[in-house]
Amino acid sequence: MRTRFDEQLNTLGQELIKMGALCEEVISLAASALIQKDDALASKIAPLDHEIDEKERQIESMCLRLLLQQQPVARDLRQISAALKMITDMERIGDQAEDIAEILPLLNDRTLPEHIKIREMAKATINMVTDSVDAYVKQDTSIAEAVIASDDMVDDYFIDIKSSLISLIAQNPTEGEYALDLLMVAKYFERIGDHATNIAGWVLFSVTGEKNVQPPAD
Amino acid sequence: MTKRIFRSICLVAIAVFFASVTLFLCVLYDYFGNVQQDQLKTQTELAAQGVEAVGAEYFEGLSPKGYRVSWIREDGKVLYDSEADSSEMENHLAREEIREALESGYGESARYSATLMERTLYSAKRLSDGTVVRLSVAQSTLLTLLLGMAPPIIMIIVIAIGISFWLAHRLSKNITAPLNQINLDDPLNNEGYDELSPLLRRIDAQQHQIRRQEKQLWQKQKEFEAVTENMAEGILLLNTKGMILGINRAARNLFGATHDCVGKYILSVNRNLEISEFLSGIESGARKEKIIDLNGGKYQLALNPVRESGIISGAVLLMLDVTEKEQAEQMRREFTANVSHELKTPLHTIAGCAELLENGMVRAEDTERFYAQIRGEAGRMIALVEDIIRLSHLDEGTENMKRERVDLYELAAGTVRSLSREAESAGVSIYFEGESAMVQGIPQLLESIVYNLTDNAIKYNRRGGMVKVSVEPLSDGVRLSVADTGIGIPSEHRERIFERFYRVDKSRSKELGGTGLGLSIVKHAVRLHNANIELQSAEGEGTTITVVFPEGKE
Repeated sequence: MRTRFDEQLNTLGQELIKMGALCEEVISLAASALIQKDDALASKIAPLDHEIDEKERQIESMCLRLLLQQQPVARDLRQISAALKMITDMERIGDQAEDIAEILPLLNDRTLPEHIKIREMAKATINMVTDSVDAYVKQDTSIAEAVIASDDMVDDYFIDIKSSLISLIAQNPTEGEYALDLLMVAKYFERIGDHATNIAGWVLFSVTGEKNVQPPAD
Repeated sequence: MTKRIFRSICLVAIAVFFASVTLFLCVLYDYFGNVQQDQLKTQTELAAQGVEAVGAEYFEGLSPKGYRVSWIREDGKVLYDSEADSSEMENHLAREEIREALESGYGESARYSATLMERTLYSAKRLSDGTVVRLSVAQSTLLTLLLGMAPPIIMIIVIAIGISFWLAHRLSKNITAPLNQINLDDPLNNEGYDELSPLLRRIDAQQHQIRRQEKQLWQKQKEFEAVTENMAEGILLLNTKGMILGINRAARNLFGATHDCVGKYILSVNRNLEISEFLSGIESGARKEKIIDLNGGKYQLALNPVRESGIISGAVLLMLDVTEKEQAEQMRREFTANVSHELKTPLHTIAGCAELLENGMVRAEDTERFYAQIRGEAGRMIALVEDIIRLSHLDEGTENMKRERVDLYELAAGTVRSLSREAESAGVSIYFEGESAMVQGIPQLLESIVYNLTDNAIKYNRRGGMVKVSVEPLSDGVRLSVADTGIGIPSEHRERIFERFYRVDKSRSKELGGTGLGLSIVKHAVRLHNANIELQSAEGEGTTITVVFPEGKE
């Protein structure tokens, strides 16, 4: 009975890693599409997002079935409930990457001004997502804590980009639409960073059982 | 074992103890019974004599201790009884001892009381007048005897059991001590029981066997590891669920994994979606091959199922680095496409001109020009084909070419001289300087290096420009440099000018009759000589290409 349960938990873990890998793929696609100005890359995002949604449903039902059939306690319960929460965040990451992909065609016929640090922000966000999945894979609390700490960096990037865009509009009011689109993209990246932080928080919870680090409210 | 020996000894001791107590009691009881009987008989004799001598008065004042005395008439009527009223007693003629006494003069019997707690011995003697004197004595039975002796017996039992426990404990320890002290690492070197020696010998033999097999296994393992660890190809052994059972160094490096990844799932080690998709469905047992991008290179993955007695138990994943192969393949494809294109262009011109001439559509004064054009294009084609042949020779390697010691200075001087006509017609002045410097190399290739570099320097120059070719020996080699004051190479093209058919300015190059293969030949030739090529260029100011040959070895 226990071996079967262990096997199911294992499968759940594997599926979660797969979903995490999909998230990594989707956000790195979004970032590459932005940096390389490649609309073809952006068009690959939507199908991946559907795959992520599909995975979410699959993992969700798997979790509920485990909760019902095995009535887990202690660590097992934490693992399953953390998985249930994590897939929500992962699904949101997929959605936001798709949102970015929708905006990109409007941006890509323009040269990205050098002083707007959106590239750096995209890279920082990718690292956060990768690290949060890594933290889950290795069940490593130190990586999870590092992810939570690096959220401030992404937030700072957002503030920085926002002020550069404000000055861009001030100098050249016709750039308004472009600037707003760019701001949206930055905001989406910032949200993705928050979701990565959430994921890291759930990893901490599933390993230690403590939820002392409150992830930013969704 | 100690427990068992202990238990056996205890049981035996207790059993022996009980048996001996029982036996002892029985014998003792029997003995005392006999003694009592004898005493009773004597007493009866005495009483009989007493009665015989004195008659009934004998009984008066008689107070026998422990004995019951009766006097019975020959018809069974009790005349006297020391413990009961004789008149009320029943006729005793039926009693065994009385009957016996009446018949033979003396009789004995023993009867148990109703409760079995008492046994009464009877002894009767017939007197001369025919009456019978009977004495009886109560004898305690074995049971009462036992009950009476219970406290001392129990005490003795307790003490005996205690002693036997202690002894059994000691004994069992002593018996097992040599067994516990057996050194199994060195089974033959043990003192103790001879009975164990076959077992110990067997253990020794098996230990030797195990050690031998262990060594063999270890050796096999080492061999296997030596093979797999030093392979450039990555090997990954997976079970059907995607768990890593074995991984070699190349694969570890490729996945950025550490030694402890064995036993983990492949997804935990590498989350590449292409790989995980490729590895899905191991249990179906299908062979798969795919080329994927990984870590900036191209890798060919080959998945082969592992079958154990018909059941798929896992898969072997082989990862080959095909980055260079793919690049070479790509280059070859591009080269073929380029060659066909480059050959087609002059042919079109030739065919066009020839057709016009054939149909007489060219005015007489223009025919000269057309012939010249046909010859020019044909010349270009020849140059192109020659370059291609040279390149393909270079591609094949230098096995067929003879390396010899060459004076680069003399060789370059000759080449420069042969190009002086071209330089003159291009309006470029050419200078040659340097001193004799020996190089170990292939003369034809060295010549084509100098020729192509100088030729380019002249072609991509401007009127009134200058080309300076110099050869100078260095402490550890020879330097050839070709500097021009030409148009220069824009920075974005510098990376690619050594590629086949790559041209900075396509139209100009064609006009100058270049094949697009010159620098490619130079690059190959330089590589075959283990030399270094360096490019310095400033747009509009000129280009300097420096080739440094390593010191020629004898």
